[in-house]
Amino acid sequence: MTETDDGNAFGYAPEIWRLFRNAPNAGAFPDGTPGVVSAEAGTPAARSVLRLALRFDGARVIDGRFQAYGCPASIAVGAWIAGWASGRHVDELRLLKAAHLREALEIPEDRAHCALLGEDALRAVLSRHQEQRA
Amino acid sequence: MIYLDYAATTPIDEAVFEAMLPYLKPDGLHGNPASTHGPGFKARAAVETARQQVAALIGAEASEIIWTSGATESNNLAIKGALEFRGFPKNGKPVHIVTSKTEHKCVLDTCRQLETLGARVSYLKPDGQGRVTAEAVLAAITPDTVLVSLMWVNNEIGTVNDIEQLAPRLRERGVMLHVDAAQAAGKLAIDLKTVAVDLLSVSAHKLYGPKGVGALYVRRKPRARLSPQMHGGGHEQGMRSGTLATHQVVGMGAACALAAARFDADVAHWRGLRDALWARLQTIPGVLRNGPTDGDRAAPHLLNLSFPGVEGESLRASLGGIAVSSGSACSSATAEPSYVLRALGRDDETANASLRFSFGRRTTAAEIEQVADTVIAQVAWLRELSPLPRNG
Repeated sequence: MTETDDGNAFGYAPEIWRLFRNAPNAGAFPDGTPGVVSAEAGTPAARSVLRLALRFDGARVIDGRFQAYGCPASIAVGAWIAGWASGRHVDELRLLKAAHLREALEIPEDRAHCALLGEDALRAVLSRHQEQRA
Repeated sequence: MIYLDYAATTPIDEAVFEAMLPYLKPDGLHGNPASTHGPGFKARAAVETARQQVAALIGAEASEIIWTSGATESNNLAIKGALEFRGFPKNGKPVHIVTSKTEHKCVLDTCRQLETLGARVSYLKPDGQGRVTAEAVLAAITPDTVLVSLMWVNNEIGTVNDIEQLAPRLRERGVMLHVDAAQAAGKLAIDLKTVAVDLLSVSAHKLYGPKGVGALYVRRKPRARLSPQMHGGGHEQGMRSGTLATHQVVGMGAACALAAARFDADVAHWRGLRDALWARLQTIPGVLRNGPTDGDRAAPHLLNLSFPGVEGESLRASLGGIAVSSGSACSSATAEPSYVLRALGRDDETANASLRFSFGRRTTAAEIEQVADTVIAQVAWLRELSPLPRNG
Protein backbone atom coordinates (compact mmCIF):
# COMPACT_ATOMS: atom_id res chain seq x y z
CA MET A 1 0.00 0.00 0.00
CA THR A 2 1.28 3.43 -0.84
CA GLU A 3 0.47 6.67 0.79
CA THR A 4 -1.60 9.06 -1.28
CA ASP A 5 -1.81 12.85 -1.19
CA ASP A 6 -5.25 12.73 0.36
CA GLY A 7 -3.91 11.21 3.56
CA ASN A 8 -5.08 7.68 2.76
CA ALA A 9 -1.97 6.25 4.39
CA PHE A 10 -3.51 2.84 4.98
CA GLY A 11 -4.63 2.32 1.38
CA TYR A 12 -8.41 2.08 1.76
CA ALA A 13 -10.43 1.63 -1.43
CA PRO A 14 -11.13 5.07 -2.97
CA GLU A 15 -14.88 5.01 -2.33
CA ILE A 16 -14.47 3.90 1.28
CA TRP A 17 -11.90 6.63 1.78
CA ARG A 18 -14.06 9.34 0.15
CA LEU A 19 -17.12 8.46 2.20
CA PHE A 20 -15.12 8.07 5.42
CA ARG A 21 -13.44 11.44 5.01
CA ASN A 22 -16.48 13.39 3.87
CA ALA A 23 -19.15 11.40 5.70
CA PRO A 24 -22.06 12.80 3.67
CA ASN A 25 -25.42 12.49 5.42
CA ALA A 26 -23.79 12.11 8.85
CA GLY A 27 -25.87 13.00 11.86
CA ALA A 28 -29.46 12.64 12.97
CA PHE A 29 -32.73 14.34 12.08
CA PRO A 30 -33.97 16.88 14.61
CA ASP A 31 -36.24 15.36 17.23
CA GLY A 32 -39.84 15.32 16.12
CA THR A 33 -39.10 15.35 12.39
CA PRO A 34 -42.13 13.70 10.81
CA GLY A 35 -41.72 10.45 8.88
CA VAL A 36 -38.38 9.48 10.39
CA VAL A 37 -37.73 5.81 11.10
CA SER A 38 -34.44 4.84 12.67
CA ALA A 39 -32.81 1.63 13.79
CA GLU A 40 -29.43 0.33 14.87
CA ALA A 41 -27.34 -2.67 13.97
CA GLY A 42 -24.16 -3.80 15.62
CA THR A 43 -21.44 -6.36 15.37
CA PRO A 44 -20.12 -6.77 18.89
CA ALA A 45 -17.17 -8.91 17.80
CA ALA A 46 -16.01 -6.27 15.37
CA ARG A 47 -16.99 -3.45 17.70
CA SER A 48 -19.14 -1.57 15.22
CA VAL A 49 -22.51 0.14 15.62
CA LEU A 50 -24.48 1.73 12.78
CA ARG A 51 -27.58 3.83 13.36
CA LEU A 52 -29.55 4.53 10.23
CA ALA A 53 -32.39 7.05 10.06
CA LEU A 54 -34.56 7.39 6.95
CA ARG A 55 -37.26 10.02 6.46
CA PHE A 56 -40.23 8.56 4.61
CA ASP A 57 -43.07 10.02 2.64
CA GLY A 58 -45.35 7.01 2.49
CA ALA A 59 -43.36 4.18 0.92
CA ARG A 60 -40.64 6.41 -0.48
CA VAL A 61 -37.55 7.74 1.28
CA ILE A 62 -37.02 11.49 1.15
CA ASP A 63 -33.57 11.52 2.68
CA GLY A 64 -31.34 9.68 5.13
CA ARG A 65 -28.88 10.18 7.96
CA PHE A 66 -26.45 7.88 9.70
CA GLN A 67 -24.24 7.67 12.77
CA ALA A 68 -21.50 5.08 13.10
CA TYR A 69 -18.92 3.83 15.53
CA GLY A 70 -16.47 1.54 13.81
CA CYS A 71 -13.75 1.25 11.22
CA PRO A 72 -13.65 3.46 8.11
CA ALA A 73 -15.46 0.80 6.06
CA SER A 74 -18.42 0.70 8.44
CA ILE A 75 -18.62 4.51 8.45
CA ALA A 76 -18.51 4.50 4.65
CA VAL A 77 -21.31 1.91 4.53
CA GLY A 78 -23.52 4.15 6.66
CA ALA A 79 -22.81 7.17 4.50
CA TRP A 80 -23.44 5.23 1.29
CA ILE A 81 -26.78 3.73 2.35
CA ALA A 82 -28.05 7.04 3.73
CA GLY A 83 -27.35 8.67 0.35
CA TRP A 84 -28.42 5.79 -1.87
CA ALA A 85 -31.77 5.34 -0.12
CA SER A 86 -32.88 8.91 -0.79
CA GLY A 87 -35.68 8.98 -3.37
CA ARG A 88 -36.08 5.20 -3.45
CA HIS A 89 -39.16 3.11 -2.81
CA VAL A 90 -39.16 0.52 -0.01
CA ASP A 91 -39.45 -2.26 -2.60
CA GLU A 92 -36.09 -1.18 -4.02
CA LEU A 93 -34.53 -0.84 -0.58
CA ARG A 94 -35.49 -4.42 0.25
CA LEU A 95 -33.33 -5.65 -2.61
CA LEU A 96 -30.11 -4.22 -1.22
CA LYS A 97 -27.80 -6.97 0.00
CA ALA A 98 -24.40 -6.98 1.60
CA ALA A 99 -22.92 -8.20 -1.69
CA HIS A 100 -24.06 -4.99 -3.41
CA LEU A 101 -22.43 -2.92 -0.71
CA ARG A 102 -19.20 -4.87 -1.00
CA GLU A 103 -19.14 -4.30 -4.73
CA ALA A 104 -20.07 -0.62 -4.62
CA LEU A 105 -17.48 0.21 -1.95
CA GLU A 106 -14.85 -2.41 -2.81
CA ILE A 107 -15.08 -3.82 0.68
CA PRO A 108 -12.50 -6.59 1.08
CA GLU A 109 -13.27 -10.07 2.36
CA ASP A 110 -11.90 -9.41 5.83
CA ARG A 111 -14.32 -6.49 6.18
CA ALA A 112 -17.39 -8.33 4.90
CA HIS A 113 -18.98 -7.78 8.33
CA CYS A 114 -19.15 -4.03 7.59
CA ALA A 115 -21.38 -4.71 4.58
CA LEU A 116 -23.56 -7.02 6.68
CA LEU A 117 -23.82 -4.25 9.25
CA GLY A 118 -25.29 -2.00 6.56
CA GLU A 119 -27.73 -4.64 5.35
CA ASP A 120 -28.82 -5.34 8.93
CA ALA A 121 -29.38 -1.66 9.72
CA LEU A 122 -31.43 -1.11 6.56
CA ARG A 123 -33.54 -4.21 7.22
CA ALA A 124 -34.18 -3.06 10.75
CA VAL A 125 -35.37 0.33 9.49
CA LEU A 126 -37.61 -1.27 6.88
CA SER A 127 -39.06 -3.69 9.38
CA ARG A 128 -39.86 -0.84 11.74
CA HIS A 129 -41.30 1.19 8.90
CA GLN A 130 -43.57 -1.69 7.93
CA GLU A 131 -44.74 -2.08 11.56
CA GLN A 132 -45.59 1.60 11.72
CA ARG A 133 -47.59 1.47 8.50
CA ALA A 134 -49.48 -1.66 9.54
CA MET B 1 3.91 13.78 6.84
CA ILE B 2 4.80 14.57 10.43
CA TYR B 3 6.88 11.78 11.95
CA LEU B 4 6.25 11.23 15.65
CA ASP B 5 7.37 7.64 15.93
CA TYR B 6 10.96 8.06 17.04
CA ALA B 7 10.53 5.40 19.71
CA ALA B 8 10.00 2.90 16.89
CA THR B 9 13.10 4.04 15.07
CA THR B 10 15.08 7.17 14.32
CA PRO B 11 16.68 8.30 11.09
CA ILE B 12 20.46 8.09 10.93
CA ASP B 13 22.00 11.36 12.04
CA GLU B 14 23.96 13.12 9.31
CA ALA B 15 27.16 12.95 11.38
CA VAL B 16 26.63 9.21 11.92
CA PHE B 17 26.13 8.71 8.21
CA GLU B 18 29.37 10.56 7.46
CA ALA B 19 31.24 8.47 10.02
CA MET B 20 30.00 5.25 8.42
CA LEU B 21 30.72 6.18 4.80
CA PRO B 22 34.48 5.44 4.70
CA TYR B 23 33.69 1.83 5.67
CA LEU B 24 31.07 1.39 2.94
CA LYS B 25 32.78 2.83 -0.12
CA PRO B 26 34.28 0.39 -2.64
CA ASP B 27 37.70 1.97 -2.16
CA GLY B 28 37.13 2.42 1.54
CA LEU B 29 38.31 0.79 4.72
CA HIS B 30 37.10 -2.70 4.00
CA GLY B 31 39.41 -4.78 6.19
CA ASN B 32 38.11 -7.52 8.43
CA PRO B 33 38.56 -6.32 12.02
CA ALA B 34 39.79 -9.81 12.92
CA SER B 35 42.57 -9.81 10.29
CA THR B 36 46.18 -9.32 11.27
CA HIS B 37 47.39 -6.91 8.62
CA GLY B 38 47.14 -3.21 7.87
CA PRO B 39 43.52 -2.96 6.64
CA GLY B 40 42.44 -5.32 9.42
CA PHE B 41 44.21 -3.24 12.07
CA LYS B 42 42.52 -0.08 10.77
CA ALA B 43 39.10 -1.70 10.93
CA ARG B 44 39.91 -3.08 14.38
CA ALA B 45 40.88 0.38 15.59
CA ALA B 46 37.57 1.81 14.36
CA VAL B 47 35.64 -0.98 16.09
CA GLU B 48 37.48 -0.38 19.36
CA THR B 49 36.87 3.38 19.20
CA ALA B 50 33.17 2.65 18.70
CA ARG B 51 33.24 0.23 21.61
CA GLN B 52 34.60 2.99 23.83
CA GLN B 53 31.92 5.38 22.60
CA VAL B 54 29.11 2.95 23.45
CA ALA B 55 30.69 2.20 26.82
CA ALA B 56 31.00 5.90 27.63
CA LEU B 57 27.29 6.50 27.10
CA ILE B 58 26.35 3.97 29.79
CA GLY B 59 29.27 4.30 32.19
CA ALA B 60 30.88 1.00 31.26
CA GLU B 61 34.35 -0.23 30.27
CA ALA B 62 34.94 -0.86 26.58
CA SER B 63 35.78 -4.48 27.33
CA GLU B 64 32.26 -4.92 28.69
CA ILE B 65 30.61 -4.21 25.31
CA ILE B 66 29.69 -7.11 23.01
CA TRP B 67 28.45 -6.25 19.51
CA THR B 68 25.21 -7.83 18.35
CA SER B 69 22.68 -7.29 15.56
CA GLY B 70 20.36 -5.28 17.80
CA ALA B 71 18.45 -5.32 21.06
CA THR B 72 16.48 -8.44 20.15
CA GLU B 73 19.67 -10.43 19.79
CA SER B 74 21.16 -8.80 22.88
CA ASN B 75 18.12 -9.82 24.92
CA ASN B 76 18.20 -13.36 23.55
CA LEU B 77 21.92 -13.69 24.24
CA ALA B 78 21.60 -12.30 27.76
CA ILE B 79 18.70 -14.45 28.89
CA LYS B 80 19.43 -17.71 27.10
CA GLY B 81 23.17 -17.33 27.53
CA ALA B 82 22.94 -16.74 31.28
CA LEU B 83 20.82 -19.82 31.83
CA GLU B 84 22.83 -22.02 29.55
CA PHE B 85 26.07 -21.05 31.24
CA ARG B 86 24.55 -22.37 34.47
CA GLY B 87 23.95 -25.72 32.84
CA PHE B 88 20.31 -25.26 31.89
CA PRO B 89 18.62 -27.36 30.67
CA LYS B 90 21.17 -30.20 30.59
CA ASN B 91 21.87 -30.42 34.32
CA GLY B 92 18.18 -30.80 35.14
CA LYS B 93 18.29 -28.30 37.99
CA PRO B 94 15.20 -26.12 38.51
CA VAL B 95 15.63 -22.63 37.10
CA HIS B 96 13.45 -19.58 37.71
CA ILE B 97 13.37 -16.23 35.91
CA VAL B 98 11.52 -13.11 37.04
CA THR B 99 10.35 -10.66 34.40
CA SER B 100 7.26 -8.53 33.76
CA LYS B 101 4.19 -8.74 31.56
CA THR B 102 5.11 -5.45 29.90
CA GLU B 103 8.54 -6.39 28.58
CA HIS B 104 9.25 -6.19 24.87
CA LYS B 105 8.10 -9.23 22.91
CA CYS B 106 11.67 -10.35 22.38
CA VAL B 107 12.10 -10.81 26.13
CA LEU B 108 8.69 -12.41 26.61
CA ASP B 109 9.11 -14.79 23.69
CA THR B 110 12.61 -15.74 24.83
CA CYS B 111 11.22 -16.54 28.27
CA ARG B 112 8.40 -18.56 26.77
CA GLN B 113 10.91 -20.52 24.72
CA LEU B 114 12.87 -21.28 27.90
CA GLU B 115 9.65 -22.40 29.57
CA THR B 116 9.26 -25.05 26.88
CA LEU B 117 12.67 -26.34 27.96
CA GLY B 118 11.63 -26.52 31.62
CA ALA B 119 12.42 -23.09 33.06
CA ARG B 120 9.89 -21.50 35.38
CA VAL B 121 9.12 -17.85 34.67
CA SER B 122 7.22 -15.31 36.77
CA TYR B 123 5.66 -12.54 34.68
CA LEU B 124 4.98 -9.71 37.12
CA LYS B 125 2.00 -7.45 36.65
CA PRO B 126 2.94 -3.77 36.73
CA ASP B 127 1.14 -1.17 38.80
CA GLY B 128 -1.37 1.23 37.26
CA GLN B 129 1.42 3.35 35.80
CA GLY B 130 3.25 0.43 34.28
CA ARG B 131 5.93 0.27 36.97
CA VAL B 132 7.37 -2.93 38.39
CA THR B 133 8.68 -2.06 41.83
CA ALA B 134 11.81 -3.49 43.45
CA GLU B 135 9.59 -4.88 46.21
CA ALA B 136 7.46 -6.77 43.69
CA VAL B 137 10.56 -8.26 42.09
CA LEU B 138 12.10 -9.24 45.42
CA ALA B 139 8.84 -10.83 46.54
CA ALA B 140 8.92 -13.07 43.48
CA ILE B 141 12.48 -14.31 44.09
CA THR B 142 12.79 -17.97 45.04
CA PRO B 143 15.87 -20.07 45.85
CA ASP B 144 15.85 -21.17 42.19
CA THR B 145 15.81 -17.66 40.74
CA VAL B 146 18.91 -17.12 38.62
CA LEU B 147 17.91 -14.09 36.57
CA VAL B 148 15.71 -11.04 36.64
CA SER B 149 15.03 -9.38 33.28
CA LEU B 150 13.40 -5.98 33.49
CA MET B 151 13.28 -3.10 31.05
CA TRP B 152 14.54 0.30 32.17
CA VAL B 153 12.03 2.27 30.09
CA ASN B 154 8.85 0.79 28.71
CA ASN B 155 8.73 1.22 24.94
CA GLU B 156 5.00 1.86 24.73
CA ILE B 157 4.22 4.06 27.70
CA GLY B 158 7.58 5.40 28.85
CA THR B 159 7.44 4.17 32.41
CA VAL B 160 10.87 4.23 34.05
CA ASN B 161 11.55 1.29 36.36
CA ASP B 162 13.67 1.97 39.41
CA ILE B 163 16.65 -0.11 38.34
CA GLU B 164 18.99 1.83 40.64
CA GLN B 165 17.05 0.64 43.67
CA LEU B 166 16.55 -2.91 42.46
CA ALA B 167 20.09 -3.70 41.29
CA PRO B 168 21.96 -3.73 44.63
CA ARG B 169 19.26 -5.78 46.29
CA LEU B 170 19.54 -8.46 43.63
CA ARG B 171 23.32 -8.39 43.94
CA GLU B 172 22.96 -9.08 47.69
CA ARG B 173 20.89 -12.13 46.84
CA GLY B 174 23.20 -13.40 44.13
CA VAL B 175 20.60 -13.02 41.38
CA MET B 176 21.74 -11.72 37.99
CA LEU B 177 20.01 -8.64 36.60
CA HIS B 178 19.49 -8.12 32.88
CA VAL B 179 18.08 -4.78 31.74
CA ASP B 180 16.63 -4.03 28.33
CA ALA B 181 17.71 -0.43 27.85
CA ALA B 182 16.74 -0.01 24.20
CA GLN B 183 14.47 2.93 25.10
CA ALA B 184 16.66 4.18 27.95
CA ALA B 185 20.06 4.72 26.36
CA GLY B 186 20.43 8.36 25.43
CA LYS B 187 17.15 9.18 27.22
CA LEU B 188 18.17 8.56 30.84
CA ALA B 189 21.50 9.12 32.53
CA ILE B 190 22.95 5.62 32.88
CA ASP B 191 26.09 4.94 34.89
CA LEU B 192 26.80 1.25 35.24
CA LYS B 193 29.79 2.01 37.44
CA THR B 194 27.33 2.86 40.18
CA VAL B 195 24.36 0.65 39.27
CA ALA B 196 24.87 -3.09 39.74
CA VAL B 197 23.34 -4.27 36.48
CA ASP B 198 24.98 -7.44 35.14
CA LEU B 199 23.71 -7.42 31.56
CA LEU B 200 22.22 -4.54 29.56
CA SER B 201 20.90 -4.42 26.00
CA VAL B 202 21.06 -1.41 23.71
CA SER B 203 20.18 -0.76 20.09
CA ALA B 204 21.66 1.74 17.62
CA HIS B 205 18.57 2.62 15.61
CA LYS B 206 16.70 4.02 18.60
CA LEU B 207 19.33 6.75 18.97
CA TYR B 208 20.09 7.95 15.45
CA GLY B 209 22.36 5.05 14.55
CA PRO B 210 21.87 2.44 11.84
CA LYS B 211 19.46 -0.48 12.01
CA GLY B 212 20.97 -3.93 12.36
CA VAL B 213 23.47 -3.28 15.13
CA GLY B 214 23.26 -3.29 18.89
CA ALA B 215 25.27 -4.19 21.90
CA LEU B 216 25.11 -6.21 25.07
CA TYR B 217 26.88 -4.92 28.15
CA VAL B 218 28.38 -7.82 30.07
CA ARG B 219 29.78 -6.84 33.47
CA ARG B 220 33.38 -7.86 34.19
CA LYS B 221 33.52 -7.22 37.94
CA PRO B 222 31.92 -9.35 39.19
CA ARG B 223 32.06 -11.27 35.98
CA ALA B 224 28.70 -11.98 34.32
CA ARG B 225 29.10 -15.19 32.39
CA LEU B 226 27.20 -16.25 29.30
CA SER B 227 27.19 -19.15 26.90
CA PRO B 228 27.29 -17.99 23.28
CA GLN B 229 24.19 -18.38 21.16
CA MET B 230 26.05 -17.79 17.90
CA HIS B 231 28.97 -20.14 17.36
CA GLY B 232 31.86 -19.62 15.00
CA GLY B 233 35.19 -17.91 15.19
CA GLY B 234 35.07 -17.00 18.84
CA HIS B 235 34.69 -13.29 18.21
CA GLU B 236 33.63 -10.88 20.94
CA GLN B 237 35.41 -12.74 23.73
CA GLY B 238 33.79 -15.95 22.58
CA MET B 239 30.32 -14.65 23.35
CA ARG B 240 29.15 -13.74 19.85
CA SER B 241 30.85 -15.10 16.78
CA GLY B 242 30.60 -13.53 13.35
CA THR B 243 32.63 -11.03 11.37
CA LEU B 244 31.86 -7.59 12.68
CA ALA B 245 29.98 -5.19 10.39
CA THR B 246 32.51 -2.41 10.76
CA HIS B 247 30.33 0.30 9.19
CA GLN B 248 27.40 -0.57 11.47
CA VAL B 249 29.59 -0.71 14.55
CA VAL B 250 31.19 2.62 13.68
CA GLY B 251 27.71 4.08 13.18
CA MET B 252 26.56 2.90 16.56
CA GLY B 253 29.67 4.33 18.19
CA ALA B 254 29.17 7.70 16.51
CA ALA B 255 25.49 7.70 17.47
CA CYS B 256 26.32 7.00 21.11
CA ALA B 257 29.00 9.70 21.17
CA LEU B 258 26.49 12.14 19.74
CA ALA B 259 23.83 11.08 22.23
CA ALA B 260 26.26 11.63 25.09
CA ALA B 261 27.31 15.06 23.80
CA ARG B 262 23.74 16.20 23.20
CA PHE B 263 22.19 14.49 26.20
CA ASP B 264 21.01 17.51 28.21
CA ALA B 265 19.76 19.39 25.15
CA ASP B 266 18.00 16.33 23.74
CA VAL B 267 16.22 15.50 26.98
CA ALA B 268 15.12 19.08 27.51
CA HIS B 269 13.87 19.29 23.91
CA TRP B 270 11.85 16.05 24.09
CA ARG B 271 10.42 16.85 27.50
CA GLY B 272 9.31 20.26 26.29
CA LEU B 273 7.58 18.75 23.25
CA ARG B 274 5.96 16.00 25.30
CA ASP B 275 4.62 18.44 27.87
CA ALA B 276 3.42 20.86 25.18
CA LEU B 277 1.51 18.12 23.37
CA TRP B 278 0.00 16.83 26.60
CA ALA B 279 -1.03 20.36 27.60
CA ARG B 280 -2.99 20.63 24.38
CA LEU B 281 -4.44 17.12 24.24
CA GLN B 282 -5.53 16.94 27.85
CA THR B 283 -8.26 19.41 26.89
CA ILE B 284 -9.98 16.52 25.06
CA PRO B 285 -12.81 15.31 27.31
CA GLY B 286 -12.13 11.87 28.77
CA VAL B 287 -8.57 11.52 27.41
CA LEU B 288 -6.41 9.14 29.45
CA ARG B 289 -2.65 9.28 29.82
CA ASN B 290 -1.04 5.86 29.90
CA GLY B 291 2.00 5.69 32.12
CA PRO B 292 3.41 8.02 34.71
CA THR B 293 3.12 11.77 34.62
CA ASP B 294 5.68 12.70 37.26
CA GLY B 295 8.91 14.04 35.79
CA ASP B 296 11.75 11.67 36.46
CA ARG B 297 9.73 8.47 36.39
CA ALA B 298 8.46 9.16 32.89
CA ALA B 299 10.75 8.89 29.88
CA PRO B 300 11.16 12.28 28.22
CA HIS B 301 10.62 11.21 24.63
CA LEU B 302 7.17 9.69 24.47
CA LEU B 303 3.53 10.21 25.37
CA ASN B 304 0.86 7.51 25.24
CA LEU B 305 -2.81 8.49 25.32
CA SER B 306 -6.16 6.73 25.06
CA PHE B 307 -9.20 8.38 23.51
CA PRO B 308 -12.32 6.60 24.79
CA GLY B 309 -15.36 6.88 22.57
CA VAL B 310 -13.53 6.64 19.27
CA GLU B 311 -12.77 3.48 17.38
CA GLY B 312 -9.04 2.82 17.04
CA GLU B 313 -8.79 2.06 13.33
CA SER B 314 -10.80 5.11 12.33
CA LEU B 315 -8.71 7.23 14.65
CA ARG B 316 -5.50 6.04 13.00
CA ALA B 317 -6.96 6.43 9.51
CA SER B 318 -8.09 9.98 10.25
CA LEU B 319 -4.53 10.90 11.23
CA GLY B 320 -3.07 9.71 7.93
CA GLY B 321 -0.64 12.63 7.72
CA ILE B 322 0.90 11.84 11.09
CA ALA B 323 3.14 8.82 11.70
CA VAL B 324 2.48 7.56 15.21
CA SER B 325 2.23 4.12 16.78
CA SER B 326 -1.20 2.84 17.61
CA GLY B 327 -2.58 0.92 20.56
CA SER B 328 -1.19 -2.16 18.99
CA ALA B 329 2.30 -0.61 18.85
CA CYS B 330 4.97 -3.20 18.15
CA SER B 331 2.35 -5.88 17.61
CA SER B 332 0.45 -4.02 14.92
CA ALA B 333 0.83 -6.97 12.55
CA THR B 334 -1.43 -9.00 14.81
CA ALA B 335 -4.16 -6.31 15.04
CA GLU B 336 -4.53 -7.19 18.71
CA PRO B 337 -4.82 -4.52 21.36
CA SER B 338 -1.57 -3.66 23.07
CA TYR B 339 -0.72 -6.20 25.78
CA VAL B 340 1.06 -3.43 27.66
CA LEU B 341 -2.07 -1.28 27.87
CA ARG B 342 -4.12 -4.33 28.77
CA ALA B 343 -1.69 -5.14 31.58
CA LEU B 344 -2.34 -1.63 32.84
CA GLY B 345 -6.02 -2.46 33.07
CA ARG B 346 -7.25 -0.77 29.90
CA ASP B 347 -10.03 -2.70 28.16
CA ASP B 348 -9.61 -3.81 24.54
CA GLU B 349 -11.68 -0.93 23.21
CA THR B 350 -9.68 1.73 25.03
CA ALA B 351 -6.36 0.07 24.23
CA ASN B 352 -7.29 0.10 20.56
CA ALA B 353 -8.09 3.79 20.70
CA SER B 354 -4.62 4.68 21.94
CA LEU B 355 -1.72 6.47 20.32
CA ARG B 356 1.96 6.66 21.17
CA PHE B 357 3.55 9.95 20.18
CA SER B 358 7.35 9.95 20.36
CA PHE B 359 9.63 12.86 19.69
CA GLY B 360 12.94 13.39 17.97
CA ARG B 361 15.66 15.96 17.58
CA ARG B 362 14.04 17.43 14.49
CA THR B 363 10.53 17.62 15.91
CA THR B 364 9.44 21.24 16.12
CA ALA B 365 6.99 23.09 18.34
CA ALA B 366 5.02 24.00 15.20
CA GLU B 367 4.62 20.31 14.35
CA ILE B 368 3.35 19.63 17.85
CA GLU B 369 0.76 22.39 17.45
CA GLN B 370 -0.32 20.99 14.10
CA VAL B 371 -0.59 17.46 15.48
CA ALA B 372 -2.57 18.71 18.49
CA ASP B 373 -4.99 20.60 16.23
CA THR B 374 -5.48 17.53 14.05
CA VAL B 375 -5.95 15.05 16.90
CA ILE B 376 -8.38 17.34 18.74
CA ALA B 377 -10.44 17.86 15.57
CA GLN B 378 -10.47 14.21 14.51
CA VAL B 379 -11.39 12.87 17.95
CA ALA B 380 -14.23 15.39 18.12
CA TRP B 381 -15.39 14.45 14.60
CA LEU B 382 -15.37 10.71 15.30
CA ARG B 383 -17.24 11.19 18.56
CA GLU B 384 -19.77 13.38 16.79
CA LEU B 385 -20.25 10.64 14.24
CA SER B 386 -20.76 7.96 16.88
CA PRO B 387 -24.20 6.81 18.02
CA LEU B 388 -22.74 5.59 21.31
CA PRO B 389 -23.25 7.53 24.53
CA ARG B 390 -20.64 10.26 24.92
CA ASN B 391 -17.51 9.65 26.96
CA GLY B 392 -16.02 12.34 29.11
